[in-house]
Amino acid sequence: MATARVESGAAGHGAEPRGKRTETGEATYLIAIAEALWEEMERDERVYLLGEDIGAYGGAFKVTEGFIDRFGPERVMDTPIAEETIVGMAIGSAMEGFRPVAEFQYADFMTSGFDEIVTAAARYHYRSGVPLPIVLRGPSGGGVRASSFHSTNPEPWFAHAPGMKVLCPAFPSDAKGLLKSAVRDDNPCVFFEHKWIYRRIKEVVPEEPDFLVPIGRAKVHRDGTDVSIVTYGMMVHLALEAAENLFQKGIAVEVVDLRTVHPLDTETVLKSVEKTSRALVLYESHRFLGVGAEVAAMIAEEGFQHLDAPVMRLAPPNVPVPFSPPLEDAYLPQVADIEAAVEKLSAW
Amino acid sequence: MATEVSEKQAEADWRVGLSDDQLKDVLYKLKLCRYFDERIEALYRQGRLPGAIYSGRGQEGTHVGVAYTLREDDSMFPTHRDLSAQLTKGLDLNRVMAQYWGRIDGFTRGRDGNSHVGDWLGHKTWTPVSHLPLAYPIACGAALAYKRRGEQRVAMAICGEGATSNGRWHEALNVSAVHRLPVVWVVNNNLWAYSTPNPLEFAVPTVAERAVAYGFPGVRVDGADVLDVYRVALQAVDRARAGEGPTLIESVSLRWRGHAGHDPAKYVPKEMLEEYMQHKDPVKRFEELLLAHEVVDAEVVKRIQERIERQFDEGYEFAQASPFPVPSDVTRGLWVEDGYWQGEPSRDGGTG
Repeated sequence: MATARVESGAAGHGAEPRGKRTETGEATYLIAIAEALWEEMERDERVYLLGEDIGAYGGAFKVTEGFIDRFGPERVMDTPIAEETIVGMAIGSAMEGFRPVAEFQYADFMTSGFDEIVTAAARYHYRSGVPLPIVLRGPSGGGVRASSFHSTNPEPWFAHAPGMKVLCPAFPSDAKGLLKSAVRDDNPCVFFEHKWIYRRIKEVVPEEPDFLVPIGRAKVHRDGTDVSIVTYGMMVHLALEAAENLFQKGIAVEVVDLRTVHPLDTETVLKSVEKTSRALVLYESHRFLGVGAEVAAMIAEEGFQHLDAPVMRLAPPNVPVPFSPPLEDAYLPQVADIEAAVEKLSAW
Repeated sequence: MATEVSEKQAEADWRVGLSDDQLKDVLYKLKLCRYFDERIEALYRQGRLPGAIYSGRGQEGTHVGVAYTLREDDSMFPTHRDLSAQLTKGLDLNRVMAQYWGRIDGFTRGRDGNSHVGDWLGHKTWTPVSHLPLAYPIACGAALAYKRRGEQRVAMAICGEGATSNGRWHEALNVSAVHRLPVVWVVNNNLWAYSTPNPLEFAVPTVAERAVAYGFPGVRVDGADVLDVYRVALQAVDRARAGEGPTLIESVSLRWRGHAGHDPAKYVPKEMLEEYMQHKDPVKRFEELLLAHEVVDAEVVKRIQERIERQFDEGYEFAQASPFPVPSDVTRGLWVEDGYWQGEPSRDGGTG
């Protein structure tokens, strides 16, 4: 499954059509996500979509383009701009046997539905034994010059709400397989689609209707013996680029893609660290108490005996995502930053 | 569209189509809720009850009146102050009591306490969260499910007037109107949101008239009269069942006790409390009504009361005999797939 960057196509708003698979079966992340939803809606009548502008318009990024023609306005339900009620309706209908998938135009706007997510949805099963099979989809992440309110990585907030599964795929196949798993899961899941990846990354994506990627399982994307980079989302792609450059310099980097942020696959991470004895935890949520803070603590606590160097973190500083390109580039870890961090670790 | 239910209308059919047995049942429920509330508070004040209490005393007319309109498969989204509505819907008193004492036979198996009771898998009542307006959007979702499947079912949500100041309340009312959902919105206006009176919560004369802004009827009713409450709630439920959309009901009463057990509610004027307790007691008023219409006599009322007291004592004993959850189960039941809620829990926690 060769992965290539799609050079053309804006990564921002979905003014352009979603597009189609290539003749060789390659699909963008965007297409893969749409396929997952389409297939699950075909498979199970209980699955329905709700959100803002997902019907005739096809969603802010065109994930649901054409869905209303096939499934109708009841299963592709446009709602008022009322995020708490979008989540609330997902909860209530799930309690009554539906399997809702709610779309947020941007993950940033999940704050407008935050209380229903963390107070009501996340805790409900633990308190009542009632399953809530709901999926909340939100385009997350920066790197597309979209500034503070369209670039956040809110995954730590939801990973910190016990009862929510938090998924952050980096590749089209993983996005498709994880989203299908999430729709079939009986627990509430937050599914973050990195908007920088939407139209940039494509690969051959499985077409089998039951192609699933298990929730809670990381994947080693590149084998290496010298340093482990533990990461997820857009940073996986930067890590792979850095790993290629570092290989030319004689450093063999292993890239572990968490894919699921919560529950965390500690086993795969520790296995990699056992092999390399050095760990760089790379993440796009804020450095302070971000996802990587937990990963680093876990490695330090459970993998200390394997380490030849301190666990290192590379992540954005604790400021809002800035707009101006030089500022955003300074904010987000860059390939060169990753290489420098790995070289520092290797020197131990 | 906000209307007062006239006395004339009430006189025309004082029993609102309820049989003698049903009227006696309503009296039983009112008295049960009152007695439960009083005894629970006494146990709390004696230091014999863990957690907090949220008394619904004085508001039983609202709770019993609205809940009595629901069928078994209709759903209810109450707050922690609406235990009376849940008892009216049929929740098992023994299990309610076990919940109060944090025991394994409580509906939440000790994961939540006191009146954060819900029995979705049985009587279709939501386990309340303390962020009270959150239940409103969720009721929209249940109602959406009924509408989508063409079922003649209704979702009823209850909150206090304090929750109407919150955005979620307005979002939910708006969405319910846009999508014409079979939902009944009940606002238990007990005049005090913790210590905040109506004029500091909203600048309109009534909550009910806000319905106009969303495009459906709003009705204000006297919570002291359980049959009036029942009448307007039944109309709202019928309307929802017929696919005609939501109704907002504002039922007015007074919260006789503090916001929670710790609150002496000194901010409530003494005269106001006396007025409501002496002249607007929904339980006493209904009992007198049934006596006057000779649906019950003193002997029947006595037997109802004895039955309630026996039931409470049995519930109390049941709760004390129910084991605590075992500490090692603290992390179980978070995810559906760990099977905790599908199986019987450990009963090895002792009764301490």
